[in-house]
Amino acid sequence: MPRLTLKFENAVLNEVPVGPKEVSIGRSPDNGLVIDNPAVSHYHARVFNEEGRLMLEDFGSLNGTFVNGQRVKMVSLKPGDSVAIGKHTILVSDSRETADPFWKGGAPKPAAPKINETVMLDTKERREFMQKVAAVGESSQPAPARVKLITLVVRKGRTDKSEYTLTDKLTVIGKSQMATVKLTSWFAPKAAAQINRREDNCYYIGAADRTPSVNGAPVVHPRKLSAGDVINVAGVEMEVVYRD
Amino acid sequence: MNKDVSMEIQLGAQSDRGRAREDNEDCFRAVPELGLFVLSDGMGGQASGEIASRMVCDTVVERCLDAAEISACVSDNGAVDVSELGNRLADAIRVANSAVRRAAEENPAQSGMGATVVAIMLTDERATIAHVGDSRAYRLRNGQLEQLTRDHSFVEEQVNQGLMSQQEAAQSNLQNVLMRAVGADADVQVEVNEDLFAEGDTLLLCSDGLTKELSDSQIAAVLGGSEDSQEAAQQLVDMANAAGGNDNITVIVLRNTPKFAGALQRIGRWFRGS
Repeated sequence: MPRLTLKFENAVLNEVPVGPKEVSIGRSPDNGLVIDNPAVSHYHARVFNEEGRLMLEDFGSLNGTFVNGQRVKMVSLKPGDSVAIGKHTILVSDSRETADPFWKGGAPKPAAPKINETVMLDTKERREFMQKVAAVGESSQPAPARVKLITLVVRKGRTDKSEYTLTDKLTVIGKSQMATVKLTSWFAPKAAAQINRREDNCYYIGAADRTPSVNGAPVVHPRKLSAGDVINVAGVEMEVVYRD
Repeated sequence: MNKDVSMEIQLGAQSDRGRAREDNEDCFRAVPELGLFVLSDGMGGQASGEIASRMVCDTVVERCLDAAEISACVSDNGAVDVSELGNRLADAIRVANSAVRRAAEENPAQSGMGATVVAIMLTDERATIAHVGDSRAYRLRNGQLEQLTRDHSFVEEQVNQGLMSQQEAAQSNLQNVLMRAVGADADVQVEVNEDLFAEGDTLLLCSDGLTKELSDSQIAAVLGGSEDSQEAAQQLVDMANAAGGNDNITVIVLRNTPKFAGALQRIGRWFRGS
């Protein structure tokens, strides 16, 4: 039976068989093959079987559907074809195990069951996965191997020091005893905000009694800090710098 | 021993088999005098998951009790050595890892068993959280629920590396595949985080049996809507069962109750001369 393999760059994201029912493709979660990307229309295209031939139809999508580089509206597919939708690729293949009963009109094999039990990836698979990830990793940002400590330089407001190098995993900005960045103003809350250093060795600022803002934008969810960011909370303004 | 009493912590906890499983392979332990709370979700055939999770919980508690007897994590000026707490939890989990592996080697029926773990140690207004796997710690603050731990699962790793979106992850067939587990390898990589646990905050430790059935907003509504931690814990379990109960469900609810109420209680006790 034919199979569609969804890939993004070199990584396989999903794989669906094409049975007697069509496989709809698009951003909306009720599609048979969901591609969650802004360049993809909610209902972008579909793949279906017609008299033993595998067909692809584009639903008049905004950014189009391309087969082997050519933009198409309705076309037949064969194993080895590469369908491009946005930045994703769908490879068309034929399931070798079933020895092609479906093309000839035989009963389709049921889809692989969802893994309901929690399982651990065994060591060999984990190593393979990590290698795959490392190969794709050129395009994504690698986590810094050594901890680069950030320093907060106070530009405005009343604090006990003019700058603070964040050596701990948790830094509290406030008036309480456990605060590293001690606010000395009378109105200061015990814990105005917090900064966490996580396993990826990056720092994240989050709200406590007050909602801090970074570069003018209020921090609703914990937000990663970068050099040059300006934090404003409880009347204090600080800039994030890296000191060597 | 950690004798810090500046916090008023209200504890609620519940563990339930759920509606689909024959056994409850989740385990939890609470040691309030240490500020230690630990939860573990076991996996493995023939109910060996139950053995693994219990071994993890018991080992972590034992090691933390031993370490506390030997030395308090408090220096002369009263400051808590927080990094030491994180190390203790991580050490305890590593010892548990060896124990589970040894048991699995000695008993063929237990071969391949493993467990997740999420352990929390509370001091002052700080929570030190160590975890392995996809059991989680959350914090409710000002009505907003925030997940404090990152799942050590295959799909989470994909999302982290930008290979998959959160939505694709939620629909993936491989959601329950873990990259890290206690008992899986000779070495276990424990993730340690520290977070602020301020007055008014509520912490939740839970196994994935809860989060597979309930959304974040449902969980936030229960935690925010109930004054009593035990009531909230029971309600979460009941709701998860009502929504399907497809896995074991375990929750620990910790509420940092406002000092005002605590101060009144303390004054009351003082007047009564106790």
